[in-house]
Amino acid sequence: MAIAPSRVAVIGAGVMGAGIAAHLANAGCTVLLLDALPDAAASAIARLSAARPSPFVTKAVAGRVTSGTVAADLAGVADCDWIIEAIVEDLAAKRALYAQLEPLRRPDAIVSSNTSTIPLAHLVEGRSAAFRRHFAVTHFFNPPRWMRLLELVAGPDTAPEVADTLAAFGDVRLGKGVVRCHDTPGFIANRVGTFWMQVAVQETITLGLTVEDADAVFGKPMGVPATGVFGLLDLVGLDLMPRVAASFARTLPADDRYRRTAQPLPVLERLVADGFTGRKGKGGFYRVTRRPDGARQTEAVDLATGAVRPSAPSTLPGAKARGVAALVAGRDAGGELARRVLRQVLAYAFEVADEIADDLASVDTAMRLGFNWAKGPFELADAIGVATVAEWIRDAGEPVPSRLEAAVRAGSCYRTAGGRREQLGRDGTWQAVSRPGGVETLGDVALASRPLEKNGSAALWDLGGGVLGVEFTAKMNALDGDVMAMLHRAAARAGRGDGPFKAIVLHNEGKHFSVGANLGLLLYAINLAAWRDIEKLMIAGQQAYAALRYAPVPVVGVVQGLALGGGFEALLHCDAVVAHLEASMGLVETGVGLVPGWGGCARMLIRHAEGGDPADPMPAVIRTMEQVGRAETAANAADARDKGFLTARDVIVMNPDRLLDEARRTALALVPGYRPPRPPVLRLPGAAVLPAIEAGVQGLVAAGQATAYDAVVAAALARVLTGGDTTPDRTVREADLLALEREAFLRLVREPRTRERIEHMLATGQPLRN
Amino acid sequence: MPAYRAPLDDIRFVLHDVLGTEQLRALPGYEEVTPDLVDTVLDGMAQVCEEVLFPLNQVGDQVGSTVADGVVTTPPGFKEAYATFCEAGFPGLSCDPAYGGQGLPLTLRAVLDEMVCSTNLSFGMFPGLTYGAYEALHAYGSDELKDAYLAKLVSGEWAGTMCLTEPHAGTDLGIITTKAVPAGDGAYHVTGSKIFITAGEHDLTPNIVHLVLAKLPDAPPGTKGISLLLVPKYLPTEDGRPGTRNGVTCVGVEHKMGIKASPTCQLQFDNAKGWLVGEPHKGLRAMFIMMNGARLNVGMQGLGLSVTSYQNALQYAKDRLQMRALKGAARPDQPADPIIVHPDVRRGLMTMKSFNEGARALAYHVGMEMDVILHHPDPARRQEAEDLVALLTPVVKAFFTDVGFESANIGLQTYGGHGYIREYGMEQYVRDSRIAQIYEGTNGVQAMDLVGRKLPAEMGRLLRRFFQPTHELIERESQGDLKDLAEALGQGFRRLQQGTQLILAKGMRDPNEAGAAASEYLRIFGLVAVGAMWLRMARVAQDKLAAGAGPKEAFYRSKVVTAKFWMTRILPQAHGLMASIAAGGETIMALEPDAF
Repeated sequence: MAIAPSRVAVIGAGVMGAGIAAHLANAGCTVLLLDALPDAAASAIARLSAARPSPFVTKAVAGRVTSGTVAADLAGVADCDWIIEAIVEDLAAKRALYAQLEPLRRPDAIVSSNTSTIPLAHLVEGRSAAFRRHFAVTHFFNPPRWMRLLELVAGPDTAPEVADTLAAFGDVRLGKGVVRCHDTPGFIANRVGTFWMQVAVQETITLGLTVEDADAVFGKPMGVPATGVFGLLDLVGLDLMPRVAASFARTLPADDRYRRTAQPLPVLERLVADGFTGRKGKGGFYRVTRRPDGARQTEAVDLATGAVRPSAPSTLPGAKARGVAALVAGRDAGGELARRVLRQVLAYAFEVADEIADDLASVDTAMRLGFNWAKGPFELADAIGVATVAEWIRDAGEPVPSRLEAAVRAGSCYRTAGGRREQLGRDGTWQAVSRPGGVETLGDVALASRPLEKNGSAALWDLGGGVLGVEFTAKMNALDGDVMAMLHRAAARAGRGDGPFKAIVLHNEGKHFSVGANLGLLLYAINLAAWRDIEKLMIAGQQAYAALRYAPVPVVGVVQGLALGGGFEALLHCDAVVAHLEASMGLVETGVGLVPGWGGCARMLIRHAEGGDPADPMPAVIRTMEQVGRAETAANAADARDKGFLTARDVIVMNPDRLLDEARRTALALVPGYRPPRPPVLRLPGAAVLPAIEAGVQGLVAAGQATAYDAVVAAALARVLTGGDTTPDRTVREADLLALEREAFLRLVREPRTRERIEHMLATGQPLRN
Repeated sequence: MPAYRAPLDDIRFVLHDVLGTEQLRALPGYEEVTPDLVDTVLDGMAQVCEEVLFPLNQVGDQVGSTVADGVVTTPPGFKEAYATFCEAGFPGLSCDPAYGGQGLPLTLRAVLDEMVCSTNLSFGMFPGLTYGAYEALHAYGSDELKDAYLAKLVSGEWAGTMCLTEPHAGTDLGIITTKAVPAGDGAYHVTGSKIFITAGEHDLTPNIVHLVLAKLPDAPPGTKGISLLLVPKYLPTEDGRPGTRNGVTCVGVEHKMGIKASPTCQLQFDNAKGWLVGEPHKGLRAMFIMMNGARLNVGMQGLGLSVTSYQNALQYAKDRLQMRALKGAARPDQPADPIIVHPDVRRGLMTMKSFNEGARALAYHVGMEMDVILHHPDPARRQEAEDLVALLTPVVKAFFTDVGFESANIGLQTYGGHGYIREYGMEQYVRDSRIAQIYEGTNGVQAMDLVGRKLPAEMGRLLRRFFQPTHELIERESQGDLKDLAEALGQGFRRLQQGTQLILAKGMRDPNEAGAAASEYLRIFGLVAVGAMWLRMARVAQDKLAAGAGPKEAFYRSKVVTAKFWMTRILPQAHGLMASIAAGGETIMALEPDAF
């Protein structure tokens, strides 16, 4: 079968099953969620709906999941394209369930298991050939919506098109990085990741270091992962380790490095026994407690004694090392810890790579997406130098794995050749790192070409196919005059679309598309009384965004992470937006005592007025007033569509690695016959309605829902949105609204309370309610 | 022979009319500081400086302080002058009355500093260092130490020093090696070598109190491991007289370019007994109290020498008859015209005059803000003043000493060949002023302090204390009779704003960019800060003229003209400096050391 599943059954409504069901609903599937226990599925859905953040992207999405019990409702699987088993890790139970499914499932329906430990070969014993052809392991990571790894295991009998269908669906529709794994215990990520956790904990104890030391070393300099090892154990649950250890003890051969290395961890076992299973329990290696005076404090477990003491940041020099190479070169205990752990973990990865995966890149991808490592093991080895890693292993009196020896001969595990990334194959030759079609990143473009232009905060790229890319490059992609200048350059290069470029795409691969105007620089400008520079930047921004809006070629914005304030205003000026599902966006300027000043007020107002009654602009004014006045953000792209921040023209993409491809296709689709939009003309109510709006705001102040200064900011915003000194019988142009934005912004920016809000935001990351 | 007259008219104008002495009087503790009291104090300072200190300036330079067998002898007359200086109560002018100080405003100390630097910089080093020691001890010393030493320092009976530099550790104090080992009785034994110790040994006072930076045995490396110790030359007896000689000896005095009467000593500490000032390892904090005050004081040295050089150059330009005016004889009755008729001579004089008067106003403004820090009841206002003083300290130190040196040089030039001849005194000011660009942190270090510390501090809050009021001043004057001046200042101010933003934006990415721009930036800052004082002074003068100035009309007219000179002939340097900054640090950093 090649049809993408649209009806899916998930059996087992535990943490994983329910989370998978929710994410399938996010992807637009109709889901049947069943559990052996009565009410378990229904209460799981209710629990997920209430969680913050909820695994459901919007409230409405939860309606796509129907709950039931295995006993009463299993027949419902007959309508399903895909049946996912996510019940308890018990081979007999799973086999019994499959036996029940065999006669019920449609002949072309796929069945997969979310097992993390049981080999596929054991699962399908006793099943029909047809069942085996349609069976695979689809191993999700917790939480399924956010963890990007999906391990896919096909057995010898699994039909290739079944595996391909699951891979494509997981990739495109669920947004996962699908890694094909061999049918070996723990597959890829848990096999390597669990070994790493075990070794990291053991060596930390051996060296007499603290949990803070270990997390500081593994966290920032190494990035495996940002939380460090003890922080990660707290997150995933301390009880996981002994269970996985027991499982591996049964399933791995006796000479496997894991079994040779792993020792009991009494300190961890005692914590689990006492109920300290991590964040899901009473806390783990770290505890957040309250002091007698009510202040929160973090405590940490002393690994030597098991006692709890106040947490103190690590003072190891290694914690401040820049990158893993600097870390392992350090002569301090942090460097020693890193060397010891990496020697064993990298040796293990080289030893098992060919056993567990098709290629090295699969292992690296699995560790990045499944354990949030900044680099996978072979990427780490390259960063350190493969010869150095081999030397460590030799110095420890151990044999160097042949895969590593080959890498030492080749010089590295990866190389860039002809603008492409290549990896060292099993046979010692260089092979392209293969990826599904449509998975492409700006990083790939950067490997093969150089920017057409760049300045301190932005760059222009030829993205291929006649598409000109604008990349923001500043920290957090904050916007400044350089960005605006580069947008003008992009518009100039695109010209009338008769040159090499037919469309413009705003795209970067930062964690966030843009957090908006550079508040730090704005605060300096305020402190310098550089009011003219602030005004110039406002005009530059308005003009740059207008140049995008009215360019003779289509402009597409691509958003991931956050698009706040000026960042979101840029998107509001695009012909279409390609949004990653997890993108969060909104006009948050009032939080720092300002109003959107780069056309954000105007564009939101115009957007909400679209399709409404031109003679009655008040609904659009009120809606914009509420959203901007409250600095409302959409939690994700689906929420953004509900709020009107995204429109039907905009595309939601589940897999961030597909954003570039989707954006290019979206932009090129707009090219034939493209005409820039005509500047809109509005009728707005004018100052006559201000008293009513202000009375409403005063009501919020009286009710304690808004502060006195919120009211000042709201009044400035209201004057913009009502069109200033207009009357309903006159028309207002976009340019008039822009002038009103500037006037309001420049007035507010001089207010000390606005400055205090900006200072507070920069210092704490939180809005000040003054 | 050079002459000096304290510029009391101008000093009074700045204090009473521009800054407002009533602002001082409004501060708790300064209720007694009436304009009359201020004038009386000023007259007293002028008298001592003109009649006692200035006449010793040339002999001090010619004889210098000398060393023999560890004993330093000051030039003839210094001892007597020092006694007069102490009798006038000047060492303790602004010191805590609890220790015998007069409790007068720091603003007046700034005036005293100016006059002393104008008349005898070398002499000023002795009480200057003593005051620094007083400040650190007053802020951080234990009650025992304060009781034993402060009154002696306040009265000038004993002198003080700051012992920081070692042969291998100047700017980088983190690497000093002088050790302080606990003696068991709460005291320490200090051992090590210090160099460049001003007034480290002399015959003006029966005892000298050294404040010494040293490392305790358990000190962490770097500047976080430095402690400050008090080491007296003679251990005081029970009744406060110099007792047993302590283990500190002067092993040499440097031969210097200028300030020859000030003995710059090499001190050897050999198990000298000392006591900790402040907490262990936190000595740098206490040292900075002295250093910040000292940096402002060094700024006054640049100003003070420029004032004397200007006064003599002016007189010479009026007296020296040579050539005729370009547009025909100005004094046909004489064989030649006085050289003041020549535009180029006047350019030099106006350059000196506009700097002297503008810098004086800025210095006293900073002094008054320091009084606010000490005495204002509102903590927010105190914080504002602290921010402003912190911001302007490197500007005053470096800009005043750079321009002060240039100014002393212009004074010499005005004399022509005679400027180069020793007996006329002008070359001494050039030599004496040169050191001010170097010590208390070279002017390069000041520029780094400004861009590296003061600019980014508190997300720009320090900057706000200067920029917002200056912007408001310019806006206020942008209409009306001073609008040309306001416009000119506004253009310089724009450059300063642009330079600041450029440095902040570029420097965040590449610290070398900030470093490459630092010195030019500091100079723009100085030009604008003095310019802002000139606009304020022009406003006062203009108002006085409008109200009918009577006999002082010429004084106020001169103020308005000089303000205009600064704005139109000096301040535009900011544009060229800004162009250099905008060019970036690429060419500065491009060459490998071997390629130079």
